[in-house]
Amino acid sequence: MSRDSAAAPGVRIRGLTVVYKTPAGELPAVSGVDLTLAPGTITGVVGESGSGKSTLALSLLNAVQPPGRISAGSVEIDGLGDVLALGGEELRRARGRKVGYVFQAAQNSLNPLKTIGKQLLDLGRSHDVDDLRELVRDAKGLLARMGLDGARVLDSHQHELSGGMRQRVGIMLALVLNAQVVVLDEPTTALDMITQATILRIIREVHEERALTTLVITHDVGAVAEVADSLAVMYGGRVVEHGPIAEVLGGPRHPYTQGLIRAIPRLSGDISLARALPGRPPTLGTLPVAGCVFRERCDRRMEICDTVEPEPVTHDGRTVSCHATGRPSPAVKRREYA
Amino acid sequence: MTRAVRERPQGAAIARRVAGHIGRGLVMIWVVATISFFIIREIPGDPVQGMYETLLQKGMSPDQAERATAVLYGFLPTGSLWHQYVDYMWSLLHLDLGQSLSTPGVKVTSLIGSAAQWTVLPVLAGTLLSFLLGVTMGVYAAIKRSGKLGDLLALSGSLLHGVPVYVIGLLLTAIFTTLWPILPAGGPVDVAYVPGFNAGYIGSLVYHAVLPVATYTLASYGGWILAMKSNVVAVLGDDFILAAELRGLRRGFVFRYLARNAILPLFTILALSIGMLFGGSIFIEEIFNYPGLGLLLVNSISTRDYALMGGAFLVITVGIVVANIVADLLYTAIDPRVRSGETA
Repeated sequence: MSRDSAAAPGVRIRGLTVVYKTPAGELPAVSGVDLTLAPGTITGVVGESGSGKSTLALSLLNAVQPPGRISAGSVEIDGLGDVLALGGEELRRARGRKVGYVFQAAQNSLNPLKTIGKQLLDLGRSHDVDDLRELVRDAKGLLARMGLDGARVLDSHQHELSGGMRQRVGIMLALVLNAQVVVLDEPTTALDMITQATILRIIREVHEERALTTLVITHDVGAVAEVADSLAVMYGGRVVEHGPIAEVLGGPRHPYTQGLIRAIPRLSGDISLARALPGRPPTLGTLPVAGCVFRERCDRRMEICDTVEPEPVTHDGRTVSCHATGRPSPAVKRREYA
Repeated sequence: MTRAVRERPQGAAIARRVAGHIGRGLVMIWVVATISFFIIREIPGDPVQGMYETLLQKGMSPDQAERATAVLYGFLPTGSLWHQYVDYMWSLLHLDLGQSLSTPGVKVTSLIGSAAQWTVLPVLAGTLLSFLLGVTMGVYAAIKRSGKLGDLLALSGSLLHGVPVYVIGLLLTAIFTTLWPILPAGGPVDVAYVPGFNAGYIGSLVYHAVLPVATYTLASYGGWILAMKSNVVAVLGDDFILAAELRGLRRGFVFRYLARNAILPLFTILALSIGMLFGGSIFIEEIFNYPGLGLLLVNSISTRDYALMGGAFLVITVGIVVANIVADLLYTAIDPRVRSGETA
């Protein structure tokens, strides 16, 4: 397969704010997020349910669904410009062609009434692909690359494929038009451990072969640790910590990241060492309006946290939004990640 | 595009499926024919006996009355119930439904045949029209469901769904034949025309059919639009629609994905309601004076015309059984999940 060896595009998210219309007014699911995806890297985004990570992922395609609405910010992708400024046909063409999106495996992202091959042709026709035969060849090549029998898969309907196979089909459809930015939303959720490992390996390998810029959304810290170069931790619609993955997991600075890592049970050693984070994740309605969103569950809460929202501070390539990080933190080093 | 790698169930499997359906359908028809045969004969009131007694009251002697009755009906019932049943089944095998009792000397099949022409075409037209209209409007109602147009369409569906067919029929009659008389009040065709394949006759047929078809369409439109709207809304929430949009598929493709998935469950209902049309629509036939199957059935019951009743029931049964078979085969053709379920 011939690929134009253009350098992977960088992605810069600036001041992204997404609000959802609720009976209590418009509430922010993502507020003022700055996140830079370095060209050619895999960035993992972790967070609890409702932390805004899926909304962030959809924003990369300007596809936040009503009642949600992107109210501020920009998403600059090299070679494409500000995605949030695109609309209509321009936006449709950018989707699939420039930015590939892979759905969660257990969700049905394929039309149940059409074979995969026919859906592939629909995709090609939608993007004015001249040589549909070559598209089918590329698709078969990608599927073979992921360990599937391309001809057989293209002739199948969705219900004839397993979850792991569907997920690989999803990855194929996201890449077959040579998208250089790929967003994977919970790519391994609801897959068994072995299949998870396979999918993660495929993501890593395809990412390197095709010089992609990849964003992986997950709530599974273990999964993201396998593939990502850098890690962004989301809480209450904010990126509270972002940095190289080994450093973030090996020496988390934000109290939330620390709590998250403390909560992971270890394979060896005492299970009771795993501590659940106290309290509950915030919902749109319970999110505090002023001050730090994490203070209710924080073990290092200070007076200032109640009134002033911490600004992201970048130091040594790590960005942390916390008033308390200036102070020495209790070491929660985990040897697996160090 | 891609060669079929695995064998799909073709030819032989489909023939086996059809044969199975036909076998089960025949059994079903036999069961219904048997049950209706006995039930009909257990209804109080015997038309031959009735005629005999009427003649007696007119002053005939019993002998005379019996002979007159025999001449009138062409036979006198003598055999036991079981004997009659065997006879009935034997004629049924020869597609002979016997002779009508209320119109002596006329075959039931020809009565049903002539009534069917006044039922099948108008009701079929009404069913298909309401289906097309309801499904199209249902899609719009679903897509525009947060706007005024969507509300309006959904409201029209709920309203029409709630109004009984005879009220719609009477309203339309009042409006278009009295207040604004542009359409004929009743009867299936203007008797001035010679029946046959000529423009005048066919034009008159169509002209007379406007009101009954409109009534039928309006009466069933509500159900279709409501069902289609809720199906489309459900499919809109499915992930593959969002996924298709995020892959940058053209609107046309996304719309087709949506419509095909949403319309699927409605095909079964459509096939069944087409099967039901052999029962006629008594209200519409009554209001617009169409001598159709519904009226035929009701009249046969009131005159205790056993043969005709049995025939009318049988026609309804056959219609529904055939519709079921067609619905099932249609489903096999349009839903791949059903297709592969059968190979497993």
